[in-house]
Amino acid sequence: MDSTVRKLSNGLHPIDALDKWFSDGVQLIGQATLTAVKTVKYALAGQIDLPEVFRQANMIGVGSLYVVGVTGLFTGFAMSLQISRELAAFGADTSVGGVVAFALIREVGPITAGVMVAGRVGSAIAAEISTMMVSEQIDALEIMRVDPVQFLVVPRFLAALVMIPALSIYSMTLGLAGAIFVAQAKSNIPPDIFLDSVKQTIVGSDFVTHIVKSLINACIIIFFSCAIGLHTRGGAEEVGHATTRAVVWTMTLIFIFNYIVTALSNLHTS
Amino acid sequence: MISVRNLRKSFNGREVLKDVSFDVWPGEMLALIGPSGCGKSTTLKLITGLLEPDDGEIVLNSKEIGLVFQGSALLNSLTVRENLALALRERKLPKREQDRIIMEDLTLVGLADYVDSFPTQLSGGQQKRTSFARAIVNDPKIVLYDEPTTGLDPVMSTIIEDYMIELENQLHAAGIVVTHQFSTWTRTAHRAILMHDGVIVWEGKPDDAMRSSNPYIVQFAKATKDGPMLTGTI
Ligand SMILES: Nc1ncnc2c1ncn2[C@@H]1O[C@H](COP(=O)(O)OP(=O)(O)O)[C@@H](O)[C@H]1O
Ligand SMILES: [Mg+2]
Repeated sequence: MDSTVRKLSNGLHPIDALDKWFSDGVQLIGQATLTAVKTVKYALAGQIDLPEVFRQANMIGVGSLYVVGVTGLFTGFAMSLQISRELAAFGADTSVGGVVAFALIREVGPITAGVMVAGRVGSAIAAEISTMMVSEQIDALEIMRVDPVQFLVVPRFLAALVMIPALSIYSMTLGLAGAIFVAQAKSNIPPDIFLDSVKQTIVGSDFVTHIVKSLINACIIIFFSCAIGLHTRGGAEEVGHATTRAVVWTMTLIFIFNYIVTALSNLHTS
Repeated sequence: MISVRNLRKSFNGREVLKDVSFDVWPGEMLALIGPSGCGKSTTLKLITGLLEPDDGEIVLNSKEIGLVFQGSALLNSLTVRENLALALRERKLPKREQDRIIMEDLTLVGLADYVDSFPTQLSGGQQKRTSFARAIVNDPKIVLYDEPTTGLDPVMSTIIEDYMIELENQLHAAGIVVTHQFSTWTRTAHRAILMHDGVIVWEGKPDDAMRSSNPYIVQFAKATKDGPMLTGTI
């Protein structure tokens, strides 16, 4: 019995594995927080390399248009198909637009865009920075007295702060367009009825929630994948490990913080 | 100059450096030789401040240190020019003056034509020479080389060694070269230190290495498997 338990968890007793996972997590959260504090300090001091910010914005934003667009569109298709069928059964066709838009703007939009960007950008950043770490490029920076946080994290952070909310809104807009199309095609709900319902349901604070969530996603993706990259030690084999770790952590945290913001915003409105 | 006293460093409870002391004078090149994993790169990282010693003292007469990394360590996202400009950043030079220094520096290593190339577009030898150019662009009084010729073909090795000798005469810096390539340390260094198991087991002039009766340097210089340095630890 004992031996099978040990085998299952890669040589570690489950309790030890949990303990290791927990202490790794605490350490990583500390590292990401320190990275964040330093980054904000540099950004506020105006020590910004603008051309590099644009290069990163292009990498993060333009490079993600395709994946974020396609996932947004299909999310809209699926939600509209499901919700319009359910509501039509209750004779509530006229509220389909509101329900779909509400879900897309407040919940599904930020999450799908966040997860796609975490997968694409978070992993790329962790891979790039951990490669720089194991190939001693970061050591070279330190010898030249260049702070890697200022050089690498600040431009990525500023680019993400603009591009991730923009991607999120873009994904949500495509999702809504997809939803209108499917509602018309599958449940005969005309676009104007759909949009009327959207207008009646959605208020300004729903957009605020959307933006807040996408800004938090940007912070999670940048600070965690950069911190993971900057704390990679060892050889080339560690790059793969860092990449996986960045994806797992950023995605998990995006879900957790999505819930926290939803809970807080409901507290506020009720 | 570089003065190292009773340096100790452990990683995860394993003592890599147990007690290492040496001095390097201006204009002198010291070779740090020894089997892989004996702590040569660690010693250089301690000197540059990239690592903190557990115990011991390091005194340097200048904070301007040039380090030629084992793997070149050029920033891949920057061109050769931008790599060198980053090293010059603190001097806040006018752009023309900065460009002049960069071109002069690259001409020295024969790479003036590659100023706007990215590191990944260069061969291994060219990357090494760029790394060289970056290390010396601020006229450092301390220059450290981590295996400058490892992985290069014999001709390129000789070219790199010639650059090292030329620089030595120009900069009058205190230099340390880490290597296990026989020609590199015998050609470029004035003095050599052999490290094994965290301590210095031999010190002398390169010319004396072959004549010495010290079993460590005899084994190392003749590259035999018989001797006090077990291959299992290498
Ligand atoms: N940052 C580190 N963390 C843990 N172990 C390290 C670290 N740096 C070096 N070591 C270990 O210390 C020993 C000496 O390494 P190094 O100084 O690179 O040897 P070399 O003489 O080949 O340059 C090796 O066993 C290496 O694995
Ligand atoms: Mg080494």
